[in-house]
Amino acid sequence: MMKSKLNALLSEAVLELETIATEEGLQELKVKYLGKKGALTAIMKGLGGLPAEERPILGQVANLVKDQIEEIINTKLGDIRHQIKTEKLRLETTDITLPGRLKSIGTRHPVTIVIEELSEIFRGLGFQVAEGPEIELDYYNFEALNMPKDHPARDMQDTFYVNENTILRTHTSPVQIRTMLKQQPPIRIIAPGTVYRCDSDATHSPMFHQIEGLLVDEGITFGDLKGVLTTFLTQFFGKSIKVRLRPSFFPFTEPSAEVDIACVICKGKGCRICKNTGWLEILGSGMVDPEVFRHVNYDSEKYSGFAFGMGIERIAMLKYGITDMRLLFENDMRFLAQF
Amino acid sequence: MIVTYNWLKEFIDFDLTPESLSDLLTMLGLEVEGIKNLGSGMDDIVVAVVEEKNEHPNADKLSVCKVNNGRELLTIVCGAHNFKSGDKVALAQIGAVLPGEFRIKRSKIRGVESFGMLCSEKELALSDDSAGIMVLPPDAPIGEPLFAVLGLKDTIFEIGLTPNRADCLSVRGIAREIAAKLSIGLKDPGDEVVTAFTSIDEIVSVVVEDPELCPRYAARFIADCKIGPSPGWLVRRLQAVGMRSINNVVDVTNYVLMELGHPLHAFDFDLLDGEKIIVRRATEGEVCKTLDGQERRLLSSDLTIRDSQKIVALAGIMGGGNSEINDGTTNVLLESACFNPYTIRRTSKRLGIHSESSHRFERGADVNIILKALDRAASLIADLAGGKVARGVIDVYPEEVKANLIPFRIEKANKLLGLDLSPDEVQRLFYNLGFTSQLVEPDLLNVTVPTFRVDLEREIDLVEEVARLNGYDKIPETMPRVEIFSDRPTRRQILEKRVRELLVGQGLSEVINYSFIHPSSFDRILLPSDDYRRTTVKIMNPLNEEQSVMRTTLLPGILETAARNFSFRLMTQQIFEMRRVYLPEADSELPEEPLYLSGLLTGSRNREGWNQERESVDFFDAKGIVENIFKLLDITSISFGKGTLENFYHPGKACNFYHNDLQVGSLGEIHPDISEKYGLEQTAIYFEINFEKLISIGTKTLTALAPSRYPDTFRDIALLVDDRMEAGTVIETIKNIKVREMEDVELFDQYKGPNIAEGHKSLAFRIRYRSYERTLTDDEVNSMHQRVIDNLLKKLNVTIR
Repeated sequence: MMKSKLNALLSEAVLELETIATEEGLQELKVKYLGKKGALTAIMKGLGGLPAEERPILGQVANLVKDQIEEIINTKLGDIRHQIKTEKLRLETTDITLPGRLKSIGTRHPVTIVIEELSEIFRGLGFQVAEGPEIELDYYNFEALNMPKDHPARDMQDTFYVNENTILRTHTSPVQIRTMLKQQPPIRIIAPGTVYRCDSDATHSPMFHQIEGLLVDEGITFGDLKGVLTTFLTQFFGKSIKVRLRPSFFPFTEPSAEVDIACVICKGKGCRICKNTGWLEILGSGMVDPEVFRHVNYDSEKYSGFAFGMGIERIAMLKYGITDMRLLFENDMRFLAQF
Repeated sequence: MIVTYNWLKEFIDFDLTPESLSDLLTMLGLEVEGIKNLGSGMDDIVVAVVEEKNEHPNADKLSVCKVNNGRELLTIVCGAHNFKSGDKVALAQIGAVLPGEFRIKRSKIRGVESFGMLCSEKELALSDDSAGIMVLPPDAPIGEPLFAVLGLKDTIFEIGLTPNRADCLSVRGIAREIAAKLSIGLKDPGDEVVTAFTSIDEIVSVVVEDPELCPRYAARFIADCKIGPSPGWLVRRLQAVGMRSINNVVDVTNYVLMELGHPLHAFDFDLLDGEKIIVRRATEGEVCKTLDGQERRLLSSDLTIRDSQKIVALAGIMGGGNSEINDGTTNVLLESACFNPYTIRRTSKRLGIHSESSHRFERGADVNIILKALDRAASLIADLAGGKVARGVIDVYPEEVKANLIPFRIEKANKLLGLDLSPDEVQRLFYNLGFTSQLVEPDLLNVTVPTFRVDLEREIDLVEEVARLNGYDKIPETMPRVEIFSDRPTRRQILEKRVRELLVGQGLSEVINYSFIHPSSFDRILLPSDDYRRTTVKIMNPLNEEQSVMRTTLLPGILETAARNFSFRLMTQQIFEMRRVYLPEADSELPEEPLYLSGLLTGSRNREGWNQERESVDFFDAKGIVENIFKLLDITSISFGKGTLENFYHPGKACNFYHNDLQVGSLGEIHPDISEKYGLEQTAIYFEINFEKLISIGTKTLTALAPSRYPDTFRDIALLVDDRMEAGTVIETIKNIKVREMEDVELFDQYKGPNIAEGHKSLAFRIRYRSYERTLTDDEVNSMHQRVIDNLLKKLNVTIR
């Protein structure tokens, strides 16, 4: 009798639970069946009127029913909560096409970018970075580099003078002299830096940048110069770049070579940038002239070496397709922001 | 240097297209910088023969011709009368484009259709002669393009010569190089002089008073010349190489100059006084009027050519106006001489005269071509001006210039070049270059270098010749075999890079301004008159005043950059510059060149956006950046103080910063007067750091601490303080109170206004306590905090709110 009442209660609870969809409804259901004034309690109160031997058995049944009801209520509660959360997340959407929150970030100057990139390549080849003064003595800039006064080679570079003996360096080559005067071979340096010439138009700036290289040791050959510079150029411009060396003249190297690469714009077919030659002049180089070694007291019978130099702006212009050098020094932020 | 394909062919038989010739020259070190084709696009103008010439039915002055171009008979209406049936003429066919973009079309002239045009020399821009149409020699091949037949199809090469190659400043010199590369011989055009009548010695004499500056002086005399225009071929040749025709005699000297590379000068002999040429240094202050009409004041180091009365030429540079060839000249004295390169260079540089002649002499002329050039010119003048050349040559040549003999070690050359040439191969290369060589030891050559190669003096010069002629492309690429050694970049290099990257990460963009500035910049940025930065390195020959002194501060450049960008309506800018400044040193030849770092912020702090409010930058943005730089460098003890402030800052919103007593830099709002002057119409914050000082600060090696495992507790405290009291003082005071568990002090509010007494402000701090040993109880924290408060009240004049 009592047992069937309990089982009926359980069935009733299961049925009613089906109709409930909210947490509040569940709470009410819990009170209705399991609360102090609930249905189960009411039945349990009737336990006292039963014979003593039945009481434990029925008590057990009653607890079982209570546990079962609690369990199905809790399961249902979990379901409802999950549903609510899912629904909530479904509604929480973001227009991901709106712009991100912008922390502004700056840019390095293209000249700096190129200097750092070149330095990195040469560091990998074992070169150290050296520096020297921009306001330089005539001696280091010209004389020690085999350009005595009244020599036509000085016309290759229009010089800013501070006084008769002091100039703004016209190239980074004086760093070669300063380095060799300070230390003995082996020497492997590159010297990026600012240089000056009195010249100003679309392809010349009165201030520009060069990177100089010098390698001196026993047994260094012109073939080594070709090997190192070709390695550098393929690292910078890519493996397929064509390189050629042709004879040229610099007072401080002998033999001297101008190094060309196949035009990166037209791939050697001929265009305005390469003046229809298919080649771009990219650096000047050569074996260090014995006269230069004499100025720094190196024995040119024992040591040989090569030097090279290139214009940073020219490389930046090729790399980024810039046609007017002045853009690099106008500091128009709309231009610089691209780098 | 400009040469033409056809002209080169007069000296050498080669079988190369203009393109491969260009490559060959470039790879010899004679860089071809430009190629121009003459007479291209003129192939529709052909040689034709007039088969019939009849009167025009409707016009007296015109004729109607039947002209054969080798393929068809064309009717042509012509207005000229200087030809007859059977003559060969220049026919511009339909479709031809004449100089001046004049296109030939089929046209009806007075009722008769004409299928082309017979041309005059003027119409083809060959000369100014428009008297009639061109009548060609009877053997001109019918149907062939006219420009090809006349030899006017030519290719012009512009060669960028390096200053060492004086020997290539002529057509013959460049031909010599081609011949060397191709291992073939050089032809020489005839230069036989037919002489007549008197000996030159009876007419004129030459005295060289300074043989050191003029090692050789030769002359010829040509009588009875008739000055007039040069023939077309000569005019065109000169034009092709960029020279203007003047008259037949002067043109010949220029022609020989371009052909053989030796400068000549022609005098009108009748304008010379006293039948005598004297080569002598000028007297100090003497004046010479050169043929460009300029009066030149001379120094005693300048070499002159004179007659018995006056200066008649500036030796090797330019002739004098008083003796130049003119329309009335009949007797010509032709000079072919050699002058000291340094003298020529000094004089021409000082006087600012750069002539074809000085260009060659200052690079070094060949003493052994003097007579050849003289004879070549004399024979051409005799031809073209109808002159009679006097017998004999004057040749003052007191000391023979010897060819250089240079010993050459084959092994040494191979070792330097990375080649393996045999003695035979090396000797062949020298032979091709026109040098003689003798193998005196198994590894040693004695090489005799002809006088035209003034650039070759040493063994190494010959090594270059070997490499050059053999071809740089033949040298194999190798990598140097050197000891491995490695140095890290210096600390300075590392820090420069890291600081730059930090600034970029903080939103600043790098700019590079010129190192030179306008001297008035110092007034504009209000530097005191005795400020050390007004002592500058000045440029003697600046391009303009804006770029005439080397900067001693980065401020003017960065302000100009900011103002320029502001004028492009770029209201927000965060820029920095990391470059040298140039500070003259009293006891040193060269200035100091310390690296400085400066930055400027203006406009809004962040980029404005749909979810970001616009906030203007202020002093504290710059201060935060500076603090970050110090943090990056692990420098903990940095103090901000007012001290003596720069005039260019807002007096109330600026500071200096120090490490101990070392001032490292300053920062602040740019004085509004300065911003306004530069056209920067909004607040700008600037900072400047002496990077050298910054990196001179040593840092301790970091010992990392493990964090406490126990929770923190904080207490807030609000203080009422005098308005003039700096927050930094309060923070430092709190930090210095000795409570071991005090972890951190943070200022979280500053307030002035209602509820705060006039002249006062409220500062609110959060003080954080934490132990490494255990979780602190409330009571413990309360008693620690009380100790802090008690101490603070004792040390500073503050009250708790």
